[in-house]
Amino acid sequence: MTAVQVAILIVLAPLLQGSMHSLRARLSGRPGPPVLQPYRQLRKLASKEAVVASNASALVSAAPGIAIGVSLTLALLVPPLIHRDAAVVDVVALALTIALGRFMLVLASLDTRSSFAGMAASREMLFAGLTEAPLILALAATTLVHDTLSRILAAAAIVLVMLSETARIPVDNQETHYELTMVHEGLLLEYSGWQLAMLQAAAYVRQASFFVLAATALPGPPIAVAAWLAFLAVLIPVVERCYGKMRFFEVPQLFASATLLAVAGLGLRILGVAF
Amino acid sequence: MAAFPELRVEFGPTLLAAPFFALLALVAPAVILSVLRRERIGHLPLLVVFVLSMAAVLLAQSVAAFALAWEAMTLASAFLVGTYHERRAVRRALFSYLLVGHIGAACIITSLALLGAHAHSYRFADIARAASSLPADLRVAAVVLGLVGFGSKAGALPLQFWLPRAHPAAPASASALLSGVMLNIAVYGLLLQCLLFAAPLTIPLALTILIVGMITSLTGGLFAAVETDLKRLLAYSSIENIGIVVSVLGFAALSMACGMPRLAALAVLALLFHAIAHGVFKSLLFLAAGDVLDAAHTSDLEHLGGLLQAFRFGAPAFFVGCLAAAALPPLSGFAAEWLIFQAFLHGLATASLLLQMTSVLAIACLATASGMASIAFIKAFGVGLLGAPRSTHPRAPQRFNVAAVAPAWLAVVTLALGLAPALALRPLLALATTIIPSAGMGMPDVPPVPVWIAALPVAGAIGALLLARRRGVRSVETWTCGSPATARSQYTATAFSNPVRILLGALTHSFIDDAARNVAAVVQRLARRARILQAGHVRVYLAYMLVTLVAVLVIAR
Repeated sequence: MTAVQVAILIVLAPLLQGSMHSLRARLSGRPGPPVLQPYRQLRKLASKEAVVASNASALVSAAPGIAIGVSLTLALLVPPLIHRDAAVVDVVALALTIALGRFMLVLASLDTRSSFAGMAASREMLFAGLTEAPLILALAATTLVHDTLSRILAAAAIVLVMLSETARIPVDNQETHYELTMVHEGLLLEYSGWQLAMLQAAAYVRQASFFVLAATALPGPPIAVAAWLAFLAVLIPVVERCYGKMRFFEVPQLFASATLLAVAGLGLRILGVAF
Repeated sequence: MAAFPELRVEFGPTLLAAPFFALLALVAPAVILSVLRRERIGHLPLLVVFVLSMAAVLLAQSVAAFALAWEAMTLASAFLVGTYHERRAVRRALFSYLLVGHIGAACIITSLALLGAHAHSYRFADIARAASSLPADLRVAAVVLGLVGFGSKAGALPLQFWLPRAHPAAPASASALLSGVMLNIAVYGLLLQCLLFAAPLTIPLALTILIVGMITSLTGGLFAAVETDLKRLLAYSSIENIGIVVSVLGFAALSMACGMPRLAALAVLALLFHAIAHGVFKSLLFLAAGDVLDAAHTSDLEHLGGLLQAFRFGAPAFFVGCLAAAALPPLSGFAAEWLIFQAFLHGLATASLLLQMTSVLAIACLATASGMASIAFIKAFGVGLLGAPRSTHPRAPQRFNVAAVAPAWLAVVTLALGLAPALALRPLLALATTIIPSAGMGMPDVPPVPVWIAALPVAGAIGALLLARRRGVRSVETWTCGSPATARSQYTATAFSNPVRILLGALTHSFIDDAARNVAAVVQRLARRARILQAGHVRVYLAYMLVTLVAVLVIAR
């Protein structure tokens, strides 16, 4: 059953990205790319040759593979949609596996000697350092608390962390083409061809896994998970349409809010309040 | 000697010292190997003395033996710290080390003497037996003095300021022992105090230890994240890890005070594993940093970089050490951090309000500290070794010799502890259930550390490398908007951690350092005043001895 779910998650991950991308474009009054564009993009990139910075070490070539491995592990770790109460996510392993993928990608970007990559690396690591606490607390809350309000609070914290992990407004902007403002895309600047395809596929699967995490955290019967997934897939483009990017040094406030939400979710349980 | 039972010197093996002995046995051979080179062999005698003195501390079974061994350890390490005493900074570091070391020793001896006076025996076994009948005020005094004494040696706040100066000042092999083993010996002392001699701790005492540990870990992590000198970065990271260990000790004591011996045993298991894992990978990192220093003639990250070629034997070991220090799977740091998080998560699932609230706080602290450690170690490896050289100083390529084996050996241990944590966890679990009374039942098995989590990423890395070889990649110059890509176009260490500095800069202004400087100034002024006593006349000294003798006789009458 798990294998089927992981397979579905991997196959549909680019579709999730494509549908959100085109919805966001429509909301902004542009026709936008077709929903299946990410699949075409991956196919096109996969057939192209990869260009690597000269004198770069083997880390640069290994990092895309590690990213794929990390995303597949995540897809395996997220709770199954069908028997969601039976499975408890290994919260810590999940967070530290994400950290492993990021560590390698950031090292690879520093190895390329590009100052844009270095800038992105530095920003990415600040965000990473500050999202670890809300992520672990929120995931711990989803495994421990079962009342509606606590789960909503924990899910909100997960969604805020997800905005950072998936490079979305107000933390980052996937559609930017301006190196100085890039965070996550900046790390990938020196990648091209099939290596970039690997990194993008990994990013899609990671995004889909986070969606599943947030959706399973939300309250309701198992069947509601699909509805929550659809809700999140609409909510995030709407948020991206309505808000601009935050100033870099204001983003930590967002993570502080995420931490507070997660603590509040746990706090309701600690104080014995149930809604 | 029978007339002075308090001076009885006893040595012998104990259960609690065993893991620390194992750590010493893993690290000491590597350190000795690392000095088997012509330019370093001079450090060997002192290193051997230092190792033996640490072993003596672990074997001490009476207060006097402990005090003697502790002093020997402090002095041996002080000579190592002062190896390069021609430099003024080293002399200052040595001074602050000795100052804090002796304040700490005074606290430790007072604390042990108080406990011994209560037990009417200065043998450790008797002190431990008398622990349950300790009056409340004596327990508080003993634990607080012990926390100050052992905490100052371990680098716990607020007496941590000597550590980032003294550890990097010593030669790399000595730094490896100082950070990797001696700090853990101090942790051993704290464990003795909290788990045996003054157990069970009350809730306020346990909370104090927990909070000291959490603040220490956050401060150490933050300073490591913004530091630009490789050896100082490693020293700050030691402070962070010791803070984590101390906070888990506080958590163990707290869960015991709340009547949860099983949780306490899990926490003790986690903290012992973390202490060993940290000891091994930190020694590895310091030894590798010493080799970096030899290859590049500087440990300033702003002038490092591009060392993968020159530093070909040490670089893989250094990489393993950085991954372990950032708590990434599948290395020992990951297993340790996973275990600690499990203890906190179990605390979250208990029914005790206090435990739940402290668990939330502890999880947030540990996660943030480990995030800061990631920043620090990405900087250490990414800026220190990768990229292009940032200085034009010629780099001598590392030649293979017996000293190059030392970091490799520690890297193998780090990998083994990460891949098969049960090897160490099984004996440690037996130890934890023996030390924590009534935890024996219900700790059925070693917690299953999810080592498999790294399988897919490792497979992915191998796959991507094979694919890159088969499909081929074209290599071109990095795009830097048309200008040539030079070493200057890379990001620097300062720039890399600048966001952290801007965001949390107010916290990195160290009030403790200022206070310590003032204290040191006062001590030096007093020392200068006291010089009047040293008149240089034999008659005056004889008079001192006479006065002392009379005073002793009057007091001891």
